[in-house]
Formats: sequence, structure tokens, C-alpha cells
Amino acid sequence: MIARVLTLGGHDFTSRPQDRAVCELLLRLATTRAGGRPRICILPTAGGDASEQIGRFYSTFGERPCDPSDLSLFRLGTRPMELRDHILGQDLIYVGGGSLLNLLAVWEAHELGAILSLAWREGIVLAGQSAGAMCWFEAGITKSSGKPLPGAGLGLLTGSLCVHYSNEPDRRAAYLDAVADGMPGGYGLDDYAGLIWEGTGPPTAVTAQRGARAYRIAKGEDGVVESPLPARFLPAPAPAALREDIAEFRRIAAMRKRAGWLG
Amino acid sequence: MMTLRQIVAFGGGGFSMESGNPLLDDYVLGLTGAARPKVCFLPSASGDADHYIVRFYRAFGADRCEASHISLFRREQGPEDLRAHLLAQDLIYVGGGSVVSLLGVWRAHGVDAILREAWERGVVLCGLSAGSLCWFADAVTGFHGAPRAVEGLGLLPFSNCVHYEPGMDGRRRAYHDFLRDGMRPGYAAEDGAALHFVGAELSRVVASRPEARGYRLDAVGGRVAETPIDTAYLGEPSTAVAA
Repeated sequence: MIARVLTLGGHDFTSRPQDRAVCELLLRLATTRAGGRPRICILPTAGGDASEQIGRFYSTFGERPCDPSDLSLFRLGTRPMELRDHILGQDLIYVGGGSLLNLLAVWEAHELGAILSLAWREGIVLAGQSAGAMCWFEAGITKSSGKPLPGAGLGLLTGSLCVHYSNEPDRRAAYLDAVADGMPGGYGLDDYAGLIWEGTGPPTAVTAQRGARAYRIAKGEDGVVESPLPARFLPAPAPAALREDIAEFRRIAAMRKRAGWLG
Repeated sequence: MMTLRQIVAFGGGGFSMESGNPLLDDYVLGLTGAARPKVCFLPSASGDADHYIVRFYRAFGADRCEASHISLFRREQGPEDLRAHLLAQDLIYVGGGSVVSLLGVWRAHGVDAILREAWERGVVLCGLSAGSLCWFADAVTGFHGAPRAVEGLGLLPFSNCVHYEPGMDGRRRAYHDFLRDGMRPGYAAEDGAALHFVGAELSRVVASRPEARGYRLDAVGGRVAETPIDTAYLGEPSTAVAA
């Protein structure tokens, strides 16, 4: 079983090309794991299970070839779920952004860390952006308490991650200071840059927007070194409307073929 | 003057559940003794749901109090110093939702210790559902599926069960089972009933509905005794005494 994680510096679920490119990558990773129609579940815990985040996820994946669901720990009162069964039945778990501190605290209260660790070992793809990316590392830089400060993650991936890297200079500065002070080094990810971890090897960097980069951050003899990583560009797929036209064309062509209209 | 430590634990009710019936909310505002009390809403158990925060501000208008809220999911907004803000309140009002998530988030931000301090300094604490369970040593919650026991903040050395409705047989049975298995004795409240504690003693039970009741629960020799408590309906018009 190959453990796979996709960590993203920041993105949104919109119809913009860079967002479509990220969603296409999520869908491809999930489909590879499923070997067919994948099941994709969002954990919106870090945002307090905000309706808006959940709605955007469904509006993006609802029209794609997959079975989307959400596991909302704050909404179990109206919609009870078996946490372990639901998570282990997925092909990809996507963790949304928000408060890293609250994410870890709520997961701990619901004993979700052990379930996610098991999912990871079973080859279920773990993914997320912002707090939902940093949570897989030993540590990240979070604004959960207001100012950017180090915060702990689950530690499935060694080292640390700083998201929104070039986009939020104060967060980047706090990260470089923390690494200089002894926090384990790791990676900086701009919005629309990502790292794909497969097995135990080093990650592959990807980018969905020109200029968005991934950096390796390490403490050396002469201080903290920031090295940009070569990244593969993720092309945006056709927008939904165009995809529907193509699908419709194919359906009609297939029907004609079955009916023998094309000879 | 001696500082009173007060907690009002609603089984259910107030603006969250009883639109148009302000009796319980009026009661807790009245306990502060302030003409225009400072009230802070903690919606943590709902994940700081926007619609809930809006409803709080509608119910606690500027005409009768100075309302604020703390969103622990959006700390970059709102008061930077949680302790200073909470200790400056007359009333802290905790909303409903998941008590498990509530306690997790509070501990992560150190709010558990601040609330204890606020209580000791005389800030009135109240809440419904998860916002009631959190104050007790043992909480019986049915929010996450089958009823389960959760350790609360322990300001009140009792167990607590909310939404203790006549129809909720599963919850009642679960609470009785927990008590037989050694859970400490405690109190249950129906929707509309509120348990008012002064210090660690139950002072009285009040209600926003004439039929709502509070109960005392004890386990005696493997048997559970459930005793209804005299409950004062807050809506009764004061009887005019003819001169």
C-alpha cells in the first residue's frame, strides 16, 4: 500500500482555471486509488464546519465523476455518522482550511487522529490546503491565535510546513524565525503550489499558477536556507459547461453507434 | 459585598430554541444586577456558525445590554486578549452544539481556565444544551449518536443531562445506567427549564414554559431515584393583591 498525501499552500473551490487544475489533481489521485469512481470526503473541521466551505466543495465535486460527502463533527447532532467506517470507506480525505489549533483540538476530542493515521497507512489519499495541509506535518505556522505562531500537527509527515508562503509575508517571516530557533525545517508553499507525497520518498512539487512555488526550508551552517523546488505545471481542464458539451456529444455518438446509424 | 458565583444551566431554551420567548434570557440578564449588562456569547459548540451569532445579536439588542461574541475559529478578528475580555463581562452565554468539540476548542485556547476565573470573580455563566453540560463534572450527551458520558469543566460537582424530555427514553435510560455504574449524582432539565446554581448549590429551578421541570437524580443501592424539583414558571403574572 502506498501512502499518498497532497499538501496545498492555498486554493479555493471556484471555476477559475487554477482552482479547476487543483480539483482535477484531487480527482485524479482519488480515481487512481479507487480504480473506478472514487469516494471523496471533506473534513471541514478547521473552519468550524462552515456551510460556505462545504457548499463550495459540493458545487465543485458534485458535477464530477465521484461520490462526494462531508464529515461535519459540529453537525453530528442532526446527522450522526460512524466516523471510523466513513473515513475508512473513502478514497480521498480532503481537509479544509481554518484554525489549525482548533482542528487538532477537535480531532483529538473525537479521537480522529488514529483513524486518519490508519487511513493513511491503508493508502487512502490524504489532502488539504492551508490548515488542512499543515495538519499532516509535525508542525506548521498558524494564525489560529491571531498572530502567526508555530502550531503542532498530526506528524504523519516529518518536518514542518508553512502555507500561503509568499502570499503572507508575516507568516513566512515567523516560519523562518521559528526554523532558526530550532523548529524542524520543511517546506514553504505559495497559494496554488503543492507537494505530492508518495511512499517514503521525497515529495514532487506541482503548481497550478505561474509564479506559485514550493520551497525547501532548511537550517544550515549560515542560517536558514530557502531553496525553490522545480515544479510540474498542472494544466486546467475544460470548464464544466464545455465538459458537458463534450460528454453530450460522446453520448449521442455512442447511441448512434449502438443504433448502427454510423454503419 | 461577597462575590456570588452563579451558573444557570438551561436544559434547552432561550433565543436559540424559543424564538419570541425571552423569559430565560431575561432571567439571566436580571441576575447580573447591571442596568446595561455586558454579555459575551461563546458559539464554540456550533463551530462559530454565522447564523447563530446573528441570532444572538438580534436577541441581545443594544437597548438592553452591551453584546459581544468570541469566535475561536476566527481569532484574527475580535478581542486579542481573551482573558481581559471575558473577565470584563457581566454574563457569559454559551451556545449549543457539540460539547466534545466545545471542550476541545476551549482547552486549546485556554478558555477553560479563564471561565473558571470569571465564575470565581462573579461573572454569571449560562448556556443551553452543550452550554449547560460544559459546567458540570459529568455530562451526558446524545449529540454524537448514542448517549455517552463526557467529562466537563467540573465547576459544578454533579452530573447533568439536557433536553430531558418525556419522549427521550433512550437518553433517560442511558443517564440512569450511568448513575447505576457510578456516575456522580446530578440534575436533569427539560427544554425550557433552567437550573440556577449559586456556588455549588442548586438555588432554584426556573422555566420559560409552565410545564417544564428540572429533576434531581441519585443512585441509592443500585436504584436510581429521579425527583422532580419545584420549578418556578417565569411567565406567571404577578398576583395583584387587593388593598
